[in-house]
Parts: sequence; structure tokens; C-alpha cells
Amino acid sequence: MSSLEGVPQRSRGRRKLGDRLVRVIAWAAASVGIGAMVWIIVEVVRRGAGAWNWDFFSKMPTAAGAPGGGILNAIVGTLLITGIAALMGIPAGFFAGVYLAEYGRNGRVASTIRLIGNVMMGVPSIIVGVFAYAVVVAPMGHFSAFAGGVALAIIMLPVMARTSEDILNLVPNELRESALAMGASRWRATLGVVVRAARSGLLTAGILAVVRVSGETAPLLLTVLNNNFWSSDIGRPMANMTVTIYQYANTPYADLQQKAWGASLLIIVGVLGANLLVRLIMQRGKEW
Amino acid sequence: MVGTAMEMSATDTTTPHEAVVPPRIEVDDVSRTAPAAGGRLTTKLRVENLDYFYGKQQALFDNTIDYYENKVTAIIGPSGCGKSTHIRTFNRIFELYRDQRASGRALMNGKDILSSSVDVLEVRRRIGMIFQKPSPFPMSVFENTAYGLRLHYRMGRSELADRVEDALRRAALWEEVKDKLDEPGTALSGGQQQRLCIARAIAAEPEILLMDEPSSAIDPVATAKIEELIDVLKKNYTIVIVTHNMQQAARVSDYTAFFFEGYVVEYGDTRQIFENPAEKKTEDYITGRFG
Repeated sequence: MSSLEGVPQRSRGRRKLGDRLVRVIAWAAASVGIGAMVWIIVEVVRRGAGAWNWDFFSKMPTAAGAPGGGILNAIVGTLLITGIAALMGIPAGFFAGVYLAEYGRNGRVASTIRLIGNVMMGVPSIIVGVFAYAVVVAPMGHFSAFAGGVALAIIMLPVMARTSEDILNLVPNELRESALAMGASRWRATLGVVVRAARSGLLTAGILAVVRVSGETAPLLLTVLNNNFWSSDIGRPMANMTVTIYQYANTPYADLQQKAWGASLLIIVGVLGANLLVRLIMQRGKEW
Repeated sequence: MVGTAMEMSATDTTTPHEAVVPPRIEVDDVSRTAPAAGGRLTTKLRVENLDYFYGKQQALFDNTIDYYENKVTAIIGPSGCGKSTHIRTFNRIFELYRDQRASGRALMNGKDILSSSVDVLEVRRRIGMIFQKPSPFPMSVFENTAYGLRLHYRMGRSELADRVEDALRRAALWEEVKDKLDEPGTALSGGQQQRLCIARAIAAEPEILLMDEPSSAIDPVATAKIEELIDVLKKNYTIVIVTHNMQQAARVSDYTAFFFEGYVVEYGDTRQIFENPAEKKTEDYITGRFG
């Protein structure tokens, strides 16, 4: 091999400069993203923390404009509606995920379902709301918490299905084969061994599916509407936090605007709590 | 001949002189099908004209072999020669995958276990399998061992506990785990996990044990334990073991089959295969010329 002596060299200074430039751009981009997040949280805490007091969590709303009162009905309503959605969306999504990962695999049916799932995840939530309005609200003749639960369940389902599938795919194939090699039937090997091996991941998937719908407003406007009064009848309109935020933020009353911030803070704290729970579960899940 | 064969494996931990070759059993036929059964040999599993396909690609060609009761048969051959594929047909694990299929017959006690009329769950109860990678289930040591018993039998708690202890003892694991039966099976060491898998397999009293490179993922000390175990287990079971390690084949097996490109090239008494192979291909492989 001939010597490289005498061949002109490229400028090292320019390369070092280029390296520094790219690092600065990456750092700046990251700062903008994280900065925006921090700003949102700081702003919500700053404006919403003042709304948090015992009454906020334990009292019903007062007549518009009158100070005091709370959003108890909206907090309970959101929990109920999300609960209804989770009861329908999580099991359905879980079994869809089991089907995709364990039974359908690369078959044509599974591929089709997977495609539909991906499309569903991209569908704007207001369209899901319109759909729920057409198939639940219109036939029933009135808005209801149940209809809202259906809408949120539809949003949860593909999220739960795809994450469940991904998590089940992480279970090593030897485990599947070993269970079958023992003479276990397919469903027993799946539920008793494969799903069990993935249980902390699946629990996480369920929590994240709930988190995914926690801020949804548009589908609830079209299905649950809102309710200024106490109602625990899932066949009727029900108070809920996101629509309350939407309505209070649109009023001229400073007190209600502050309550909207307070409710926003509550949702953010809930999402944060769910994420911490997920981390805890995943850490403990490693023991098995 | 033995010397050259013994020196070639990098993973071997013994010198050639220490290698234990099982005592020779008299057979009068060293053809590529099977040694003729002497008076003392009973065929446990007779494989006839086994072909195997991954989609359109054929992986096994006309495998015909007799596995003898209470003997250890080793299957050796280079990577990709079809060793694992061959033993995986017997408990029909391949049926999990839609484009794989086998044709031919595998007669266990005279009955074709590849036939679709045979209950596959029953076949799997009677043919246990140990995989390359230890695969304890996500449950306690006790529940792991009891898995097959719970699956196939109804029994009281005390009998279950007795059988679990017995299986763990026979897998030479009891002393190490008797105080942690309630701990997760995955918390054991790799070698212990593999013996747990053996305990799990033998607890349900299968007749045949298939082992697919059972020690390739564990350390030499644990490997030695597994090999001792195989020697004990063959008193009760018919064992077929796939191994990459020729010293292991020589140490643990009574019979050896050499596979190449999906064919059974040679099958016979282990000592004869290693000392005096009939086929040139076998000799080339065991002397390390390829593979």
C-alpha cells in the first residue's frame, strides 16, 4: 500500500466546527421541546393550584358566577366514564392483542386487523365521538355517560390491542413451546404461561390506555355532554372534567376560569401518577 | 481416531483419556438405517421415511431410525443439518407454525404419533422435551415442577407435593431448592433452571425425553451435572439428545446418529461411530474436517 504522505488533508478545524454546530442544534431542539413541557406544567400549577382546596374536591358547583363550590360531580363523573370505558376497551383490546400475537400472527386476518387498528389509532377523536353519537346517543334519544364510555373504549381498544401484541411478542418463544411441549392446550399455555410472563407489561398497557383517553374532550361533548348537577345515572348526561374545563374556560368569570385551571392540574397530576405507577410496576415486574 | 475426534472441540473440558465412552453393545449391522436389534434391545420409537418441510423448502429427507428403550441416542451433525428439526417432530411442536409440516411415520410403541387421529396433548405428555435455553415458567419452583401433573392428572395436595419432591430429587435439584420452593423459578441460576425444566418434564412421567442441546446455554460445571443426570435418567426413560458437542455425545450416549443436510448419514453404536465410522462423511465430521 502506498504512503498517504503528500496527499492534501481535509481541514480538521472545519470538521470540529461542524461537530459543534450539530451538537448545538440538537441541544437547542431538545430544549425547546422540554422547555414547552415545563412551561405548560409551571403555568398550570401556577394558575390551578389556587383552585385546589377542600371545597374544590368535595363540593358541587355553585350557580354561575357565585363564588365557592367545587367540581365533585365532574371528578366522580370522569372516574365513572373512564371506568366504563376501561371495562369495555381494556378486555377487548387485550384479547385482540392475544389474538394478534398468539393466534393470528402473520395470517391474512391478523394483518387486516392490524391495519385497521393502525387506522383507528390515527382517527381524530371527534370522529369517534360522532360515531358514538350516531350509534348510541341517537337511538337512545339522549346524551349519556354510557355513550361517552363507548366512545372512549373505541379510542382505547386499538391502543390496548397493539401494545398488548407488542408486549406478548417480547415473551421468548421457548416459553410458548415449553408450555405446549408439556401438553398444555393452546389457551392454557397462552393464559397460564405467556400472558403470566408478560403480566406487568400488560398491566402497564392497560394503565397507558386509560391515560391515553384521560384528556379527551371532543368525543365527550358529543356523547356525555355535561351536567351541572349530581348524577350517577350512566344512562343520563354526566358531569366530567374535560368538558367542564372547556365550558369554564369559556366563561367570563375569573372564579370558574381558575377552577378550569384547577381541573387541568388534576388531570396532569393523574397522568403523572399513572406514569409513576407504571414505572413502579415495571421495576417490580423484573423479579419474575 | 478417537484422539483426533476428542481434541477438536474447543468447549471440551476433559482430556481425551478421561472421556467416558459407554460400553459397547453388540450390534451386527452398521448400515445407515439402524443397528439391528439384539435380544436386549426394544425399539421405543421407530421413525420411518420422515420428510420435513419449512414451506417449500425440504429440511429432512427420508429419515429412518430406531430409538431404543432405556438408551441414550445422540444426534450430531453440523449446524443446519436438521438435528433439532428431527426431534421437534416427535412431540409435534412444529404444528405451532402454519407453514411447517412433516410426512412419514413415527411409531411409538407401534402407534404412529404423527397421525392426525392421535391426541397431540397425550403425545406431548408421553414425550417430554428440554429446550436449549432454560425456560422456567413465570411461577414458583414448586408450581413449575407441578405444571405437567396439574395439567394431566387430578391428585390430592400431598401426593402432588410428594411427586414434586421426587421429580426434583431425580433431577438432582432438591437439595438446592428445598428451602425456596415458593420462590420464582426464574430466580435460579441457569444450570438450576435447566434442571428445573428436567424436573418439570419428568414429573409427569413421560416415556421419552427429547433434549435439544440442553447444555449449550449453561456453564461447564452445570453441564457436567446434566450429563450425570442423563446417565441416571436413562434407567427409566428413552432419551434422544441433540448436541453440538461431540465429546458430550461420546460421553452420554449409547447410540449416535450423524445427520448431514437433512439425511441420516450414519447411525450406530456410539463407540463404533466415533472409532470406526463406516461413512467417509462421518469420519470427516468427527475428525473436524468440516462443521
